[in-house]
Amino acid sequence: MSAKRSPMNDQELWRSLAMEGRAVSGMISDHDLAAWLEGRLAPAEAARVDAILAADPEQRAAALELSEILAMPLPAAPARLAVRAQALVGFEVEREPASRPGFLASLFAAGRRQALRAAAMGTAAAILAVSGFLVGGGLGESYAHQKQITVVSSTDTSSELTDLFGDGNVI
Amino acid sequence: MTELNEIDLRGLTAGNKRAWDQFVAAAAPLINAVVRRALNPYRLGEDDVMDAAQDVFVRLCASDFRLIKGYDPSRAGISTWLAVVARSAAIDHMRRRRQVADSIDDVPEAALAIEDRHVEKLKIPQGLLTDRQTLMLRLLYDEDRDVTEVAELLKIDAQTVRSTHHKALLRLREHFKIDST
Repeated sequence: MSAKRSPMNDQELWRSLAMEGRAVSGMISDHDLAAWLEGRLAPAEAARVDAILAADPEQRAAALELSEILAMPLPAAPARLAVRAQALVGFEVEREPASRPGFLASLFAAGRRQALRAAAMGTAAAILAVSGFLVGGGLGESYAHQKQITVVSSTDTSSELTDLFGDGNVI
Repeated sequence: MTELNEIDLRGLTAGNKRAWDQFVAAAAPLINAVVRRALNPYRLGEDDVMDAAQDVFVRLCASDFRLIKGYDPSRAGISTWLAVVARSAAIDHMRRRRQVADSIDDVPEAALAIEDRHVEKLKIPQGLLTDRQTLMLRLLYDEDRDVTEVAELLKIDAQTVRSTHHKALLRLREHFKIDST
C-alpha cells in the first residue's frame, strides 16, 4: 500500500516543504556577485553563489534588485549629486608645490591675508613718513635755516680778522 | 557624455581631475538608481538619500582611490561592479546611521516576517535538489518572480528555467510521493 499524499499544485507543494538544516553561510564578495550577475563565474564558484543565494533571502533580494536595475534604462540623477561628487577631487596643479618662489611669490606664499597685512603696514609707514615731514616744515625750509646759520658764523669770522689786521699793527 | 567603460581609470586613480569628473557624470545615474532602490524600504527623505549616494563617491575616491584600483575588469563589467559596490555602500551607510524606527511602519516588512510554525513542513533532504534548482524554486515561489525575470537574473533562456523547474518538482513529487493536481 503506497502512502501517497493528497495532490498539490507546484506552489502548494513548495510551500509545504522546508529545506533540511544546512550549513550554507558566507557573504559573496563584490567581484563574485558582479561576475555571477553577468554569468561569468566558473561552474564551481557559481554553484557556491547559488547555494548562498538560495539560503539567504537578503542577498537574494540584493541580486534581484541589481539585475533589474542593470537591465533598465536609467533616469538622470539630480544635478547636485554630480556637482558634490566632482568636488571631492581637486585639480592636479593644486597638488604640485612651487619649485623656486620669487619675491612676489613668497610675498603671497602664505596666502592673501598675509599679503594684505604687509601692504597695510607698508602704507601705514609711508603715511607716517610723509606726515612727519609735513610737521617738521619740509626739506626746503630746513635747508634755508642751515644756510642762515652758516652766513652768521662766517660774518663773525671776517670781523675778527679785520679787528686783528685792520690798523697795521703786527703782533 | 563619456560611457563608463570608456573612462580612463588609470588616469583617474593617478589623480586626473578631468577623468574623475567624467567618471562621476557617467556613474551618477546608476549610483542614484541603485541607492534609491536599496534604501526604498526605509522611507528616507531626499536629503538622506542624496547623502547616501554621495557617500558612495566618497568611498570610491577614499584612500587614494583604493576601491577603484582594486577593480578587476576580467571578472565583470564596470557598470555591474559599480552597482554592486554602490548597493553595499548604501546598506552600510544606512546601518551606520542606526535609524531607529519610531513606528512599525518604518520597518521593512521582510524584517517583520514570522515563520508559520503551526504547519509542520516536510524536510527536503540535502542533495535531493541541486543548488541551482533550489535557487530557482525560491525565486519563482518565495520571491514571486516569473520565468522571464528568473531567466534574466540567471543569464539563461526561459526554456531552461522551465525545464529546470519541471525536473526539480518531479524529484520532489517522487520523493514525497505527492501527485500533481
